[in-house]
Amino acid sequence: MTLTLLVQSVLAGLTNGFVYGLIGLGIAVVFRGARIINAMQGDLALIGSVVAYLIAVSLGLPMILGFLLGVVAGGVTGFLVDRLMIRPTAKRRGTEDSFLLVTLGGAFAVSATVLLYFGRDSYVLPGIGGNAMVDVFDAAMRVHAIWLIVISTGVVLALRWFYAKTAIGQAMLAASIDPEGALTLGINVGWMRTMTLALGGLVGGLAGVLVAPLINIQYEMGLLLTLKGFAAAILGGLTSPFGAIFGGVILGLVEALAVVTISSGYKDVVAMTLLIAIMIAMPQGLFGRRGRLGG
Amino acid sequence: MLRAGLGTLALAGATIMSPMAQAQGATGEPLKIGAIISLTGPGAGLGNPQRQGMLLAEKTINAAGGVNGRPIRILIEDDGSKPDIAKSKAERLMYDEKVSAIIGPSLTASTGAVAAITNAEGLPTLCFTGLGPRIELTYKSLFHLLPAQDLNAKAMLEYSTKELKAKKIGILHDTGYGQVVTNQLNVHRQAYGVEFVAIEKFEVGASDVSAQAAKVRAASPDVVFVIATSAVPFRNARQVKIEQPIVSAIGSSTYDYVRGFGEYADNIIYPEFVVGEQPKDNQKAFVEAFQKEYGSLPKNFEAAAWDSVHIIAKAAAKAGPKAGSKDLAAAMRGSYPGVMATYDFAKDDMTGIELSSYVFSKLVKGKFERLSFTTK
Repeated sequence: MTLTLLVQSVLAGLTNGFVYGLIGLGIAVVFRGARIINAMQGDLALIGSVVAYLIAVSLGLPMILGFLLGVVAGGVTGFLVDRLMIRPTAKRRGTEDSFLLVTLGGAFAVSATVLLYFGRDSYVLPGIGGNAMVDVFDAAMRVHAIWLIVISTGVVLALRWFYAKTAIGQAMLAASIDPEGALTLGINVGWMRTMTLALGGLVGGLAGVLVAPLINIQYEMGLLLTLKGFAAAILGGLTSPFGAIFGGVILGLVEALAVVTISSGYKDVVAMTLLIAIMIAMPQGLFGRRGRLGG
Repeated sequence: MLRAGLGTLALAGATIMSPMAQAQGATGEPLKIGAIISLTGPGAGLGNPQRQGMLLAEKTINAAGGVNGRPIRILIEDDGSKPDIAKSKAERLMYDEKVSAIIGPSLTASTGAVAAITNAEGLPTLCFTGLGPRIELTYKSLFHLLPAQDLNAKAMLEYSTKELKAKKIGILHDTGYGQVVTNQLNVHRQAYGVEFVAIEKFEVGASDVSAQAAKVRAASPDVVFVIATSAVPFRNARQVKIEQPIVSAIGSSTYDYVRGFGEYADNIIYPEFVVGEQPKDNQKAFVEAFQKEYGSLPKNFEAAAWDSVHIIAKAAAKAGPKAGSKDLAAAMRGSYPGVMATYDFAKDDMTGIELSSYVFSKLVKGKFERLSFTTK
């Protein structure tokens, strides 16, 4: 194996890993704050990317406006998911299984809506820095991918601060860990759950505008992203935002290195074997224990 | 000029329409044709162009008098890209609607499910897939509008070895369509005297395949085959600095995919049948009519769909109004000079498309250009 090939596989693994991690981050945020596995997370990214495309490409408005409105669209959708789907289900004593099924149905509905109004074509959303590439030992990485890594890391740090240092962040955690106890302290548990879903939506929208320039926007991309993001979040620990990113990077790197050292045909076998081994040794995921303790 | 061209395309009226019918338009009892295509699900990229081609053919034939005065009526059903749904739609069309023939399905698995029941009734079925499982060779009423992957593989190797003089080829393919074509490439590799220096695969829908692309690049091939139904591998191949010519397969030659390539839609070669930008003489009237109807250029699947309706119309005119399903199927067995290709449904592979029907195109800055290379 040449140095270039090794470097290229590491760069590809990092890029893919942060893509998985960003989706996993949204899943972790929602699970941490509401104990709901949101199967719509990839579709929140789809909504964010579609809105960004319509603003920045179809209407020709500034890219930054497209990105910002894409993120906001994710947040608004997260808010609506709680109000229109989660809250009515919870009122009828829905369980975790019901929430999963409801959001899974929502994912298909979003995909079908995008198909109806946006069509089945693939769309390219321009990235930060256009298609500019950075050369590393003759291997190449898109400038946009570097921004994706930097922004994702920044968001994880911001979330860490939010949950540890702000009253609202701690209230969201309290409402999730012990809803009845939180009620006795005057915390509006329902509102905290709404805010958690909206926060998850914002992270989903951000994932959409950052991931779309790398993979193209297409109506079916949501569920595929959710599956990989879910694997990343499980690996890192479902309650840990940092763990989701870390899990995504581990998954991405293992897949890429399996391609160049073993065979592309065994990429998933190697990655899933690792996932099983970690789950057996650490059932809470790599950082799940810390996440459940609020760290 | 367009009207004259369309008149010619509607099989010159001679075989389908009586002179009286041409003058009066189609007014008799409709000739019902069922169509099962994938308008949703993973095969939607195929089903939607096929729908456009069929509807244009229906409109054109009916405007010119139909089949001996009988208008054609196409009943289109969406199988959602699922074989079980395709089968139940076929049953409805056969037993409730009593259609004379079925067009479709769009996908190989659905074709197997539908053909098993239409063959039992002898109902003519013109599918938009190449020859699939061997059992299809025993079916007497199943006809294929697209070549087998074996022929697609040969076409790719023809161009790569004869025009590009390649000896070492790298392959980047997905685990669906790409795997099927790659299997056939392996069958013909030795006959063309080439070595596959790297064969890398990735799952359908993968978001990034740069590690696989980098491995192909590291093997220093003369030409790279990218065979997939997604834009991602094409983009990644160029991003990791694969500068060699890329030869792809017909399945990713649609405008949908090409739009997804973005600025990388350049120097990619396709063996296919219809280049809308520079059609062959026998394709010009169809391309013009399609562009007028839909405001866009057609490609292979639209042309195959157009041909399918005309093939049934011609056979129905030949078999006569009292013909049963088996008579109609018998009338189809023979040569038919279509817009997409020249078919011969009497051949063993039930399509009869020859390698010489292929044209070769090259993407230049997002536009297809027809190449002078032929396999003749």
